[in-house]
Amino acid sequence: MSPQEYFTQTRRDFLATSSCGLGTLALASLLKQDGLLAENASIPANPLSTRVSHFAPKAERCIFIFLEGGPSQMDLFDPKPLLNKYDGQPLPDSIVGNAKFAFLQKESATVMGTKRVFKKHGQCGMEISDLLPHIATCADDITLIRSMHTTQFNHLPGQLMLNCGESRLGRPSVGSWVTYGLGNASQELPSYVVMVSKGRGLPGGSSTWSSGFLPSSYGGVMFRNGASPVLNLANPDGITPDMQSASISALNDLNRLQHKHIGDPEIAARINSYELAFRMQSSAPELVDLSGESQSTLDAYGVNRIEPPIKSNLGGIGNYQTFSRHCLNARRMIERGVRFVNIIHASWDHHSALDPQLAHNCQMVDQPIAALLKDLKQRGLLDTTLVVWGSEFGRTALGENRKGFKKVTGRDHHPAAFSLWMAGGGIKSGQVHGETDDFAWHVARDPVSMHDFHATILHLFGLDHNKLSYRFQGLDFRLTGVNPAKVVKGLVV
Amino acid sequence: MRLNSPLTISALFLWAIHVLADGKVEFNRDIRPILASKCYACHGPDEDKREADLRLDVRAEAVKGAIKPGKPDDSEFWHRISTTDPNDVMPPPSSPKQLTKTERGLFRRWIAEGAEYQNHWAFAPIKRPAVPTSKNTNPIDAFIEHELAKHDLQPATEADSITLIRRVFLDLTGLPPTPSDLSDLSEWSDAKYASLVDRLLASPNFGERWARHWLDMARYADSSGFLGDGLRPNAYRYRDWVIDAFNHDLPFDQFTIEQIAGDLLPNATREQVAATGFHRNAALNTEAGLDKEEARFQNLADRVNTTGRVWMGLTVGCAQCHTHKYDPITIRDYYSFYAFFDNTEDRDEPTSKAPALAEVTKDRRQTYVHMAGDYTRRGPDVVPASLSSLPPMNKLAQPEPNRLDLAKWLVSPNHPLTSRVAVNQIWSKLFGTGLVRTPDDFGTSGESPSHPKLLDWLASEFMREGWSRKQFIRLIVMSDTYRQSSAHREDIMVLDPLNRLLARQNRIRLDAEILRDSALAVSGLLKYTIGGPSFRPPLPEDVFDVGRSSNWKASPGDEIYRRSLYIILLRSVLYPTLTTFDAPDAADACVRRERSNTPLQALTMMNDGVFVEAAQSLALRVMREESSETTGRLQKLFQFVLSREIRTEELSRLHSFHTEQKARVQSGGTEALKALGIRGKAISPDEAIEAAALVATARVLMNLDEFINRQ
Repeated sequence: MSPQEYFTQTRRDFLATSSCGLGTLALASLLKQDGLLAENASIPANPLSTRVSHFAPKAERCIFIFLEGGPSQMDLFDPKPLLNKYDGQPLPDSIVGNAKFAFLQKESATVMGTKRVFKKHGQCGMEISDLLPHIATCADDITLIRSMHTTQFNHLPGQLMLNCGESRLGRPSVGSWVTYGLGNASQELPSYVVMVSKGRGLPGGSSTWSSGFLPSSYGGVMFRNGASPVLNLANPDGITPDMQSASISALNDLNRLQHKHIGDPEIAARINSYELAFRMQSSAPELVDLSGESQSTLDAYGVNRIEPPIKSNLGGIGNYQTFSRHCLNARRMIERGVRFVNIIHASWDHHSALDPQLAHNCQMVDQPIAALLKDLKQRGLLDTTLVVWGSEFGRTALGENRKGFKKVTGRDHHPAAFSLWMAGGGIKSGQVHGETDDFAWHVARDPVSMHDFHATILHLFGLDHNKLSYRFQGLDFRLTGVNPAKVVKGLVV
Repeated sequence: MRLNSPLTISALFLWAIHVLADGKVEFNRDIRPILASKCYACHGPDEDKREADLRLDVRAEAVKGAIKPGKPDDSEFWHRISTTDPNDVMPPPSSPKQLTKTERGLFRRWIAEGAEYQNHWAFAPIKRPAVPTSKNTNPIDAFIEHELAKHDLQPATEADSITLIRRVFLDLTGLPPTPSDLSDLSEWSDAKYASLVDRLLASPNFGERWARHWLDMARYADSSGFLGDGLRPNAYRYRDWVIDAFNHDLPFDQFTIEQIAGDLLPNATREQVAATGFHRNAALNTEAGLDKEEARFQNLADRVNTTGRVWMGLTVGCAQCHTHKYDPITIRDYYSFYAFFDNTEDRDEPTSKAPALAEVTKDRRQTYVHMAGDYTRRGPDVVPASLSSLPPMNKLAQPEPNRLDLAKWLVSPNHPLTSRVAVNQIWSKLFGTGLVRTPDDFGTSGESPSHPKLLDWLASEFMREGWSRKQFIRLIVMSDTYRQSSAHREDIMVLDPLNRLLARQNRIRLDAEILRDSALAVSGLLKYTIGGPSFRPPLPEDVFDVGRSSNWKASPGDEIYRRSLYIILLRSVLYPTLTTFDAPDAADACVRRERSNTPLQALTMMNDGVFVEAAQSLALRVMREESSETTGRLQKLFQFVLSREIRTEELSRLHSFHTEQKARVQSGGTEALKALGIRGKAISPDEAIEAAALVATARVLMNLDEFINRQ
């Protein structure tokens, strides 16, 4: 056989075996023959091949917007008229109890009122603050949970809890679990993409989207701002697209020759990876190229809007257009088969200067997030796309009187009760779930724990949180941990 | 759907191999794994969670009512697992862990054959097994061939000399051989191989390579992690201690003692104190406003869990909240072990500032059981003690054992786990997988060894040779088993697709560090300096900028070409070139790395700055060292990258690629010459086009599967 004939034939062979190693395929069929594997068992020969969920999914994709630091729920989502009445007065011990605080001096702390105005929105009459006028117009598409609670009152442990289900480093993120459970539906893009607006900096850095103990193929891929969105996507200087194409072709041919020699089927998987990488080199820049979007779409997301002036901001200055772009990119990713998108901005940790800085952050995210919801809906994607707004905890009704603070202008961390919202992807629309007491201190009705929240997300994806597990350190680890967690039926259609 | 880890699959295969071989059901091999994963959670060692007062992990309890040995049909156990009544069936329908038909069949056979139990193999004392008779002089080969013979399999032939030399270079030093290392291949012999092995074991690069394996387990990092991710400017001193320990072949027992309790040794040297940096490596939360007691508790629990996993292969961490579900480790055991660390404080070694441990003398804490693993809930008081189900400590000089006693206990000759776990770890680095495929779980829910007798023989031999790792590695790499070809064998695909019987070597995707180091080495860029502070390679701003410790300035000059184990490891800004290839994140002890294969790896190998520079530098190196004739240059290039000679068909393909690229460079003009990078200035204009085509060619070769894998 001439080398040319050989290449043609082996190419066909490789296509036939797709991206899987022959070994694992042969193994799977053998195991099934012997009845050693359940008939419906699937083996992740290629870790990213698509897999069938436990039951019919409602959500096929998720956009998880993580606003780091703990946005103040009583200034955004959970109106408490008594705050202004009790402004400057202490809270009774019966409410505060033995709560722990990061910075607040419990003995001398007093209630901090709010300048926010809440109005009812939509047919459902959801009360949302005047800081989020655009999102308020989407009230009828949202389930607002006012009864979230978490176990952590420090940032990074809380963020790991929100994003990875446990307060310590080294655990897989929600997006990694979903990717592990369902594989990659895109042939040209990563299954799990992360976009971060530069603000104060994200405490956990890349651990926020880590694959933890899962194989790294399940980790989030950070999309950078700019024309070459994935690290190392662009060819080196001097290597033109046709040179790159010829390089991939030569590389694969040489790999096939080596395969002929030593026969290791894993070489097929390597060839497949290079081909996918090559496709990604054109599909990823195309993804972030917004020139095909209409002016009205760009305007709806605020891609070219001007940021209002502010002297200083914990969440950074200069992120408005970036955040808009991230929201629009997210829709474009969803359209192209990306399964899980994280949009992250830090920080919303308003221990001080809460009023001006919260307003500035809200103005940054409000318009693009609302535009995203409407855009998804208009394109018929919202029904199958879960959108989440969340953070690691909320903030205290008590004003922060940290030692050294001259004035009370902010709030401390509050894990016992806070708000989060979800939309689309099988989530009920136009409802408020749960309720807190008069000072948003404790959950008064229908508490939702972080693990309940996670169980519900997996459920929407057709995954049973009790069954989706991975063996690590002798234990079958789950996103929802060892204690019982429940799918919150009240949230789901 | 069930997502099967490769681990389960291999367990099944091992089972298939054995049962096919000798028919009788064996408790340790066939029954315990099922009981452990599907029954013990409610009918195992944990009294608090035990249902119906039934315990299946102890025979005396199981045969009281549930199991009638010899009589499956009279056994309630059989009835419960075989009924279809949802109220009676076990495991209950709500359990995600249902029995398969095969498993039920095994239980039935096991009961019919008398329901014999066996002690868990890993807790049994290590007895030196007799070596099977064999014409082979290396006992490893005798054990391996003995098993192969049961399946009528022959070992593979020895790998050709170049493959073998490359393999042993990569495995022992993490670097590929240079052309001069391959210059004397005439009359290749055992003696030549042996002297090469000795040379590599004596090379300082050996310590660097094997230190990296240990640093994975030591969850080594140069920062604290969590919100501030504060820099640990002296953490590298522990890393250097490990390199030095490997290079001087510090016996593993001493290596253990110094890391766990070097500060307590009489007249401890500065180095011995610095060795205790092992337990200073863990991530530590220092976020403002945190609960210090909780952070301390988590830090100590990490020390307990890490010690258990790394030295004993036990998932002791499971007993942090409740008595272990599968293994005989009670919550009381856990906190008695914890007590060894409860009066330890973090104190840096005074002269070197190396992070170290020290024992508190005043105001010592009383340790107690933390109920449900909650640091605020106080249970019974405990004193330091070893695990109750393992052999006790030797008589002590003082009333209460301390960390030093703990360390000595770990490496005492009658400890059933430490040497088994250690030899398995070393083995796994030389074959890609351990004899026990769960290197950090030698407990009852881990996998059984593929070759139990070989494992025990190795463990006893390791101790007999004074815990010398160099001797031990030498023993393995001198074996025929190690030296086999790794070429695919169709004849074992059905019987042993995961190659557990080792009828060939395994091909192994190189570790992240070796890939980068190899690229630097073949291109001539690698800077060989051992030890010292970690360096920062160049990193685009938007990559490091996501964290809060966002000050990343590339190290000056040729520092950036140092070996990868010296790259600074910041927990919030992991260096993507390494993590893309599964380098660990230092969150937990990493006992076994994943070996994934992703498109991001392809992008990294093709376009990451360090690989691009390596291709440029290699191309120029070939132009310098070889005549201007293209074929000669391509041959040389290939040999630099892959050590072997290029085959005719490969040469023809590469030739046509080179010709095509040259034409493209020519038509691309100055833009195309940018492929030469900063090194372009050193090239005369009439050679530039050829140089750029060679850079493209070098880039292809450094992306070959053969470069990415060790054969």
